Amino acid sequence: MTRRRNERALVRPHVVTGGRAHPTRNVFDLVTLVIFNGDLPRHAGGTTPQTPRQPLSTAGLSPEKLRIIELCRGGALSVVEIAGHLGLPVGVTKVLLSDLVDDGHLTTRAGSADGRQSRVRLLQEVLDGLRARL
Amino acid sequence: MEQFLLATAFVLVAGAGIAAAVLLLRQRRATAALRERTAALERGLELREKELRHLADVRLPELMESLSNPGVRVARPLHDLEREAPEFARSLQTVTDLFAGSAARVKERADRSAKSTLRAMMRAVQSLANEQQLAISTMQERHDDPDVLEGLLRVDHMNAQLGRRAQATAVLCGSWPGQQRSASSMTDVVRGATSRIRDYLRVNLEGTVNSAVTSRAVEPVVLTLAELLDNAARHSRPDTSVEVNFRSTHNGVAITIDDAGVAMDADELQRASDLLSGEATVDIHRLGDPPQVGFAVAGVLAARYGFRVSVDSRSPYGGVRAVVFVPSALITEIPDERPPEAVPAPRPAAESGAGPEDGPSTAGGLPKRSRVAVAERPGGTDERPGTNEGPGTADTGEWPAARPARETAAGLGAWQRGTRSGRAAAPSGDAEAEGPAIESKDLRP
Repeated sequence: MTRRRNERALVRPHVVTGGRAHPTRNVFDLVTLVIFNGDLPRHAGGTTPQTPRQPLSTAGLSPEKLRIIELCRGGALSVVEIAGHLGLPVGVTKVLLSDLVDDGHLTTRAGSADGRQSRVRLLQEVLDGLRARL
Repeated sequence: MEQFLLATAFVLVAGAGIAAAVLLLRQRRATAALRERTAALERGLELREKELRHLADVRLPELMESLSNPGVRVARPLHDLEREAPEFARSLQTVTDLFAGSAARVKERADRSAKSTLRAMMRAVQSLANEQQLAISTMQERHDDPDVLEGLLRVDHMNAQLGRRAQATAVLCGSWPGQQRSASSMTDVVRGATSRIRDYLRVNLEGTVNSAVTSRAVEPVVLTLAELLDNAARHSRPDTSVEVNFRSTHNGVAITIDDAGVAMDADELQRASDLLSGEATVDIHRLGDPPQVGFAVAGVLAARYGFRVSVDSRSPYGGVRAVVFVPSALITEIPDERPPEAVPAPRPAAESGAGPEDGPSTAGGLPKRSRVAVAERPGGTDERPGTNEGPGTADTGEWPAARPARETAAGLGAWQRGTRSGRAAAPSGDAEAEGPAIESKDLRP
């Protein structure tokens, strides 16, 4: 759903979330990782007690939710990345994600602390690239 | 002698008497004729006077009324003027024709100027609503706080309704919907329409259809659906839902909107189908208060863009069923919304040790975070504490703390590559960023 920057979204966020702005659970920040449950290994320990034995039905989900699941099938994604792919505000994405976690489609993991250090380098490189661009 | 004189006098007197009698007779005849003529003239005069009064008091006002309301019938003349006074009849006809002509011209001019004023005003409101929507979208992206977001969602909702009202009024005044959109799936079109009505939570969309509306028809179809959905929601009880369904047909897609509200009677249906056919001209002075624009807007747009709208009382829920039929000409394939790089194949962690310089990069030369395939993580990760799991593990693999020489070189290389491609890409990127500035303008040809 890449959208030209100035094009107004056809489907407005209030329809996407049904008017809700408060996520049902307050576990998301920008770098929280979201994982599709179907991809999890069966033996994954206590962190994911609700690992389904068979994939949950995705019938009846809104197009945005289906798309989140599709995105997360490729591997873990952070909240901010999902929001970027959907072209939706982060707050709205959080509402959808918490619904999906409630339904058992997704699992969350906090962003890793170990990754911080390496991320500084990645950020440095992003900064360099941006400087080159501007 | 005397006798002769007497006889002569008698003859003279008798002649004079006869002459007088003849004269008298003629005079009487003439008088009678004159009286008759006077009476006829008087009758004619009375007839013309009555006819004139009838014209001024009854026929012209009715004529005036009939110009704005086609249902009114203009009274006939009181007498058979063609037989009794053909000249006068022709003159009266000229008067009524002139009157009707000039009244129609005046009305047309007033209509045109009212429409163009309204159109200009609505254009200003529309572009303000568009600007406001952009500002709201920007704020929605910036503010993460659910309380703020809640407020923003409400403002967004109201603004969408405001925009729709302005757009509908502008369309009635002969303007174009004026918003360029890319081809959108049927589902998005219906949900886009739902975004713009007050009771959006009551709209229930069932099923999907694998087709999209072409770019030029998206906005008109969305606006039409929004008006119909709004009608459906407003004319049914707040605890009922409005059902939307798709039906693929041989030469298009039909979108049905059913409500469980009050049905329309035959007169209302007739009026609605007149408006929806797009043939009846819409008189913006007679929309009522509150103005009922829904069917009129739908009719105007349907006629202009070539889709069909109909309403009837055959809704299974007892209310009204509205059907928007989008013909194949306005239907296209669903555009692939995903950019090809959005879902890269999961990369096994073992192979991703080479570092980000081998990973995908954006057009601007910026490195992209590569995904970690959760399922294929090496078994060792399970030994770590829960909070440290995830790609962090893999990241550590990519960026060992020691920083080998190869990595430093790669970093420098990436920097240089980024510089080069960044500079090369800059002009086209700028042009793209300025591309779609057209939206708030009126898109009339």
